[in-house]
Amino acid sequence: MTRIRRLGEATVNRIAAGEVIERPASAVKELVENALDAGARHIDIAISEGGLGLIRIEDDGHGMAQDELTLAIERHATSKLSRDERGEDDLTLIHTLGFRGEALPSIGAVARLAITSRTGDGDAVRIAVEGGRIAPVTPAAFLRPGKGGTLIEVHDLFFATPARLKFQKSPRAESLAVQDVVKRLAMARPDIAFTLSDDGREILRLGAPREGEDGGLARLGEILGREFKANALPIDAAREGARLWGFAGVPTFNRGNAQHQFLFVNGRPVRDKLLLGAVRGAYADFLARDRHPILALFIDVDPREVDVNVHPAKAEVRFRDPGMIRGLMVGALKRAIEAAGHRASTALAASALDSIRAEALRAPGLAEGTAPYASAPDAYAAHMPARPSPAALALMTEAFAPAAKVTQSDPAPRNFPLGVARGQLHNTYIIAETEDGLVIVDQHAAHERLVYERMKRALGETGVQRQMLLVPEVVDLDPPSMARLLARADELALLGLVIEAFGGASVLVRETPALLGQAGIKGLVRDLADDLAEIDEALSLKEALEHVCGTMACHGSVRAGRRLSAEEMNALLREMEATPHSGQCNHGRPTYVELKRADVERLFGRR
Amino acid sequence: MRLTVERGAFLKSLNHVQSVVERRNTIPILSNVLIDAQKDRLSLMATDLDIEIVESLEAEISRPGATTVSAHRLYDVVRKLPEGSQAQLDANGAEGHLRLNAGRSKFQLTCLPREDFPAMTAGNLPHHFGIDAADLRRLIDKTRFAISTEETRYYLNGVYLHAFKGKDQALLRAVATDGHRLARFEIPLPEGAAEMPGVIVPRKAVQELRKLLDDATGPIEVAVSDTKIRFAFGSVILTSKLIDGTFPDYQRVIPSGNDKILDVNASDLAEAVDRVATISAEKTRAVKLNLERDRLTLSVVNPEAGSANEELPVDYGAEPLEIGFNARYLLDILQQLDGSEAKFLLADAGSPTVVRDAGEGADLSTLYVLMPMRV
Repeated sequence: MTRIRRLGEATVNRIAAGEVIERPASAVKELVENALDAGARHIDIAISEGGLGLIRIEDDGHGMAQDELTLAIERHATSKLSRDERGEDDLTLIHTLGFRGEALPSIGAVARLAITSRTGDGDAVRIAVEGGRIAPVTPAAFLRPGKGGTLIEVHDLFFATPARLKFQKSPRAESLAVQDVVKRLAMARPDIAFTLSDDGREILRLGAPREGEDGGLARLGEILGREFKANALPIDAAREGARLWGFAGVPTFNRGNAQHQFLFVNGRPVRDKLLLGAVRGAYADFLARDRHPILALFIDVDPREVDVNVHPAKAEVRFRDPGMIRGLMVGALKRAIEAAGHRASTALAASALDSIRAEALRAPGLAEGTAPYASAPDAYAAHMPARPSPAALALMTEAFAPAAKVTQSDPAPRNFPLGVARGQLHNTYIIAETEDGLVIVDQHAAHERLVYERMKRALGETGVQRQMLLVPEVVDLDPPSMARLLARADELALLGLVIEAFGGASVLVRETPALLGQAGIKGLVRDLADDLAEIDEALSLKEALEHVCGTMACHGSVRAGRRLSAEEMNALLREMEATPHSGQCNHGRPTYVELKRADVERLFGRR
Repeated sequence: MRLTVERGAFLKSLNHVQSVVERRNTIPILSNVLIDAQKDRLSLMATDLDIEIVESLEAEISRPGATTVSAHRLYDVVRKLPEGSQAQLDANGAEGHLRLNAGRSKFQLTCLPREDFPAMTAGNLPHHFGIDAADLRRLIDKTRFAISTEETRYYLNGVYLHAFKGKDQALLRAVATDGHRLARFEIPLPEGAAEMPGVIVPRKAVQELRKLLDDATGPIEVAVSDTKIRFAFGSVILTSKLIDGTFPDYQRVIPSGNDKILDVNASDLAEAVDRVATISAEKTRAVKLNLERDRLTLSVVNPEAGSANEELPVDYGAEPLEIGFNARYLLDILQQLDGSEAKFLLADAGSPTVVRDAGEGADLSTLYVLMPMRV
């Protein structure tokens, strides 16, 4: 029989280290955060073998003196917590990224760690820890004479815990994880220069410190790519002492997974369910369920309003008032998308242009590629002699311009963002001329969105009509799901679903949205319970209602293949300008693309 | 197997049995009809594994035997044969074909062996009773519009048939509901049905039965067990599995204390509802009924399309009431009424409303319950 005994110091430290240092990326995260907390302006990171061989981080922060250095590698030692008036450490007021005093001892417990540091006026000193064994402090030569700073070298990570070492992924995967961590931290601090190299190869060089908002966007652009910069909407909103700022991509600029959503709370990168759910809620109306927007958002709140000490890697946080934060995010994002209204993704225009250029390269003689377009109007004229020729059509559009003159002092197309219709291609696409380019509109997608928006407006005006059930339906759930549903019963009733408690783990459905007819209510209620658990919003019900609207909108809108008159085309363009969200269809595809005159000129080699 | 059969009689019987065969089948033999010739009777059988229809007819049989061929194809072939012609069928087990000759037309149809044809084992059907064809027709006609089409509440996907002890007499009742409205029809309990279990006859069986009833007269033999029901009339036998589920306690949802009574001309109301509903949104079709003393105002407002109003003189003495219904449901019920009047028994805008047949020619064995809409 074995008896209970106290574990050895080294074992305790290794177990604790397992929580904090899970893989090379988490070591990098802790160390870079230390550098940031030390007020560094430049941080240089080098890794080899994905960080398992070496992690080397050099900063120009305030550095540590000799006595601090010996404390730093002990557990629960930190400079980052302030004492309150009773002399107690104050865990509610955290301004720094770190605060637990865990990182260095944890790394020291599982790797060969060496720290060289000097304060601005002191001498450089060096301390080494190998698998938990501490070597004495020695004087050292530091690279930056006369300046403060710290150099941390971590060799052979996890050599002391072979079990953990066995479970590491390939160096390449670990290297990608390190890059991700550094990128996230760099996004949060555009004022600090970062470099990252992997096995001597430079991966990231984020330039000299910048200041202000534009600096932020520039940094985001450097990390997320130029396209993000071109398709980002600035966000800046505040409510009750919380501020949300950053950049969100337009809905048409979307991806197949949520990996490209970067969220920060008080400069700390997080992957928080509440925040991701709010993003999803805000974009729900513009994107199909399996598409995700790209964005980088920063939330600044009073440190007392948020608890960061809930997750070993600090990836999740807890807000004192989650509803307020959620409302702030959803509101601000929706407003920004609304205001953007007509900015279809420029990435689309760019990729369209690319494909035209590719065509030109493949078949020498662009003329061949354009021949079908050139001949289309002739085919028109031949088959439909009664229809006006393109020239006549142009004249006709001119003729309509004076009508617009009544209210507009200047004739088209200058006054219309979407321009004046000049013709229709394949009975499917409307070509419009704008002041400085041309617009191609997908007539079905555009009209579908218009009809959909109209129906949604009508739904908003009359409310959702509810059919009462003769035989109320019992839906069996588990108690937490039931509680979640009932907590939101009022909101669900507004959406047409009236439920009440039935026993300890079931709900009774009394009324259902009349729009849904006899659809399977059980499945819907279960989906709703899952939605509430996962993203805290009744998305399924909204989606079900919007799906009906969407299907009806699809049936009730102008199809591709229908010939439109000039008046009809212009009316469609004017309505698109007047309707919010008409830049994308219900599935996040654009309803139109715009080519600037410069783009067209580039096609012909004039620029 | 070799036989000669008159085209007209053959077509009629084929028409009866082939309608149960699904258009698309994953099991090939379910597309086929079993042709079985014994002594002087030819019998045709088709099934979808839930319902089986067998019909026998007279034929001149020179060599007994059996085979199966595609039901829809055989039906189409026979349908296109000249009227009054005689069809000769000839199948020889070894060939795998059925030869069909009529006049100058000759067909060879691919067969599947009769041994593979699934036969439904009816088992013991302990409860027997006879019911008049006209009664059975009404039992179906008055209720089937309310059968639910929603698959998750499978126990509502049929007509609930059961014996019921009424105040004065025993009754056979048919009930159907889709959770929004309910239809009930009753006839005096036929002899022998008192002990029958309450059964749910699936929608497809109800539809097939109704088709067969079109030209049936006289008594129909019904046999029931817990899992199957069989209807035998003349030369046709329909056997169906029953829905394995519990029909909800419908008595509880039929209100008895509704004291606001509205009497209205049924066809006038139906026409008015149909007219104003033109404006309503196509999916919801909500119509509002505004009741005041002896006056009913129907109204529909649809922000997209506009609005409509119609006033009807009615007989109504209770306090004013505003209540919404799905126009489609109202029309469905009004169309079922035989009498000149409809009698609505109402309580309030949030409670079930009872509709009864009234006036000249009314059939008092019907009762409808309709759940209002919140508009």
